[in-house]
Amino acid sequence: MTFVTLPILLLLGGFVLQLLLARLLTPVGKGVLATAAVFASFLATLPLVPAGMTGIAMEAPLLPVWDGPFSLALRIDGLSVLFMLMGTGIGAAILLFSVRYMEHEEQGTTRFYAIMLVFIAGLLLLASAADMLGAYVAWEVIGLCSYSLVGFWYNQRAATDGARKVLVITHLAGYGFLIGLVLVYSRAGTLVWTDPAVATAFTSGVAALFIVAAMAKSVMFPLHTWIPEAMNAPTPVSALLHSACYVKAGVYLIARMYVIGDGQWQAALEVPLLAVGCVTILVGVIFAMAQTDLKRLLAFHTVSQLGYIVVGLALGTDLGLAAGLFYCLSHALFKGTLFMCAGAIQHATGTRDLRELGGLATAMPGTAKVWIIAAASIAGVPLTNGFVAKWLLFGAALDKGLLVVVLVGWIGSILTAFSFLKATVNAFYGVPSKAMLGRPVHEASPSMLAGMGSMAGLCLLFGLAPQLLMVPVVAPAVRSLGFDWAVQMSWLGILTDRGSIAMTVGGVVVLASAMLGLLVYRLAQAPASGLVSVYSGGEPLPAGDRPGAVDFAEMAEHAFHPVYSLDPDPAYLRIWRSLTRVAGAAQTAAGAVFENRPLLAIGLVAVAALAGVWLV
Amino acid sequence: MDMVLIPLFLAIALGVGLYARVIPQGNGGWWRFAAAAVALAVAARLAGHGWAAILLASAAEFLAVGMVWSGGTAESRAAARKYLTAVALAALCGWTALALIQLGAVRPAAPWDRLAVALLLVSVALKLGLVPVYFWLPAVARASSAMTTALIVAVVDVGAFCELLALRDAAPWIFVDFAPLWIGLAVVSLLGAALLALAQRELKPMLAFSSIDDMGYLLLGLVAGGADGMAGAWFGILGHAMGKIVLFGAVGAAEWHLGRAVTLDDRGLSTPLPVASAAFMLGALGFIGIPPTLGFIGHWRLYLAGAELGGPLLLAVLYASSAMALLCYVRAIHRVWLGPVEAPVAGRPLPRAAALVLLSFAIAPVLFGLAPNGLRPAAEPHPHVAELPIEPAGGVK
Repeated sequence: MTFVTLPILLLLGGFVLQLLLARLLTPVGKGVLATAAVFASFLATLPLVPAGMTGIAMEAPLLPVWDGPFSLALRIDGLSVLFMLMGTGIGAAILLFSVRYMEHEEQGTTRFYAIMLVFIAGLLLLASAADMLGAYVAWEVIGLCSYSLVGFWYNQRAATDGARKVLVITHLAGYGFLIGLVLVYSRAGTLVWTDPAVATAFTSGVAALFIVAAMAKSVMFPLHTWIPEAMNAPTPVSALLHSACYVKAGVYLIARMYVIGDGQWQAALEVPLLAVGCVTILVGVIFAMAQTDLKRLLAFHTVSQLGYIVVGLALGTDLGLAAGLFYCLSHALFKGTLFMCAGAIQHATGTRDLRELGGLATAMPGTAKVWIIAAASIAGVPLTNGFVAKWLLFGAALDKGLLVVVLVGWIGSILTAFSFLKATVNAFYGVPSKAMLGRPVHEASPSMLAGMGSMAGLCLLFGLAPQLLMVPVVAPAVRSLGFDWAVQMSWLGILTDRGSIAMTVGGVVVLASAMLGLLVYRLAQAPASGLVSVYSGGEPLPAGDRPGAVDFAEMAEHAFHPVYSLDPDPAYLRIWRSLTRVAGAAQTAAGAVFENRPLLAIGLVAVAALAGVWLV
Repeated sequence: MDMVLIPLFLAIALGVGLYARVIPQGNGGWWRFAAAAVALAVAARLAGHGWAAILLASAAEFLAVGMVWSGGTAESRAAARKYLTAVALAALCGWTALALIQLGAVRPAAPWDRLAVALLLVSVALKLGLVPVYFWLPAVARASSAMTTALIVAVVDVGAFCELLALRDAAPWIFVDFAPLWIGLAVVSLLGAALLALAQRELKPMLAFSSIDDMGYLLLGLVAGGADGMAGAWFGILGHAMGKIVLFGAVGAAEWHLGRAVTLDDRGLSTPLPVASAAFMLGALGFIGIPPTLGFIGHWRLYLAGAELGGPLLLAVLYASSAMALLCYVRAIHRVWLGPVEAPVAGRPLPRAAALVLLSFAIAPVLFGLAPNGLRPAAEPHPHVAELPIEPAGGVK
């Protein structure tokens, strides 16, 4: 055991302890144990950061003797460190949140925490696997864990249907990874990411297979339809799935492919990947606007946000990769926070239906503040990490002259802001809905607030001072992919090496505007909160009335009607029905010919064999 | 002495025995036939690779027919007749072919070499129930108790396949020079059985077709040969044996609970039978070849064998078959096991001994998937697995 393998071993140790102490610990005790294991793993990951910054790749065997000539070995570089920090850091916050969230669960908490630990360990193994076979094993372990966790309430139809969809879509596409690595091995005789022989064998066809697998994991259109169905899992599962451990596996795979042959595949696949990313940005956000279920809304925003990240990676430049990876970390923070807020709301009110929510800011002020920070971040409001991520991404696209990408990203951002305005207003402001009247609503517990608050705080911190993340984590990750990039970044994400006065002025204007707004608000002696008429884009609504979730959803459906026909699920269903029809016809024919007349079948085989041996 | 298969067969015998004590699988005749069949299969492994082993393995097959016959119903006797037809013809063709090639020691002059290969093809197809001569296996699965079919698939068929592995070493020309025929047989079985499995509504015949599908995979590995192909076939057949005990055992437990055959119309069996449900899921995942099960250790190499034999085209065939298998198992898991109970049945609970057997055979493939080298024979390396070069610890090939 070395300090390189320690983060994974701590998680696996936590898993073993969960099983051993299952009968002794209460649900809270199991949660504390799991949180401690992940936090210890996070602390054990921190010492890897300096080595990553110096560009050293650390190697160590995890399972020295595994399968004949193959071992499970680790090779940790800058990219690995980034994903390991994300998995353990976000994982620790989510598990802290889970302690109280899961305390009333009557059964299955051992299963829950044990699988959560393996889930995070799977991401760490994926990020640090020295070769493709190890990465594929981790890839599928993550898939199995998500399947088990999404179907946690296995006697509920909605949960199991969601789990089935996760498994089928991601596993069928995941065969692309397996077939790709088999093709590489059959040509190169090795599967080590950095082996020059692999670079020769890694054709654009193989890269395309890898990308198909990544698309399903990272919810790229049209393989994204499993994610809204996976929302019937416990909220910590949704948070982990969306923020750190599952959808980011595909992002990792695409990024990791850059170490092979200096990313030579990118030239052939840049345009298709950019197109997929851009379509995903728009489809995700437009579908999100039509949702009235808070978690489904967040799920479709995951689709959209992953589109941004993949676009960044597809650009194939140092700044594009930096933008994609910074976006990846930022998304983990704000999306994890948003899901935990949604979970806190559901925990407190018993519903996550926006039509039944309202006025929660009074009863849940802490949750409301945390939500607003994360919502501002996902919408790209300045002073948050979401703004920096988008700023970098647009800059990278402009560097390549891809105005269409910028336009798509900009439209996506506006619609995202619109969607979160709807969610925020409907959940936290106005008067409580009739369904909420009489229900005792309580604020999230301190540990839940600590879990989501810490992540919201980081959204602000990395929005104000992104260099704290960029210099030690993101830049080494970009350099580990073969890009010689010396990051020069200042406060608010302003790149000082670009020499762009406009950017600097823009940043100053943004900051000055915010300060001015705050000053005016203070000087104007803000009135006490009360009901006011709402300007909804047309006739002002009377005081006390407001556009509800349904109004927003109907408006979106009306405005973007053709986009909603882009749902690929009916096509998948038609394929499945056709397949079962063919199978039924095959059974009828084979039953009549082969099963009921065995001698005929034997005769046919005998004749075919005799003819065959003379023809070969 | 075979240090892997013999312990495996004995463990299966012990597991099935324990299971059958608490969930009856047949009458006294069944016990005698089952014990004798396993004993002869073990004796065949002890006898090495020669005529004695061939004859003992064939005798085990005939005794397995007796297991089916002992069911006593008209349906089981009809299935036994079909099985007997297959076993008798397979034995006749197999013995003749082996006599012509003197157990692989010689290649007879034309046209006898071709005749021997044709007879072997027919024999193998009949023994393993490959498409299109699969007629006996679904019939046996429908008419017999779950563990009867499991023993046939996991012990008798596995023994037959291991004889084939030995022949691959002794007389590679049979497979190399006539590769298109073997590949054709494997592909027809892969695709045909996967498709037919999807058409089944009853779980036991579905598992039978899934076995045929898997045998198609294993045959590909055998034809490809080399370290990876043979290791794929070797690990694949071991995973196949353990997986089928789990899958048939879980379905048998559900039958015991319901008092009738399990079909896709049943719902929510995981609530009354959580252990059987978990075991079925683990077994299915191993069968589909998902890491970290032993099934994956075999499957990825079989994919490699497919790439070497037929390039992207054969990989596409393997993908289609894997996809259908996944859909088939996922449908069974989600319709029969998971989800709410729609019509509660006051059925019998799963006995502890049966649960122990199911869990042991469900967890073993996961443990062996993490440490597959444990399945390498220690004292006398199996010729197929011995081809695998082992690099120093920590090395990455």
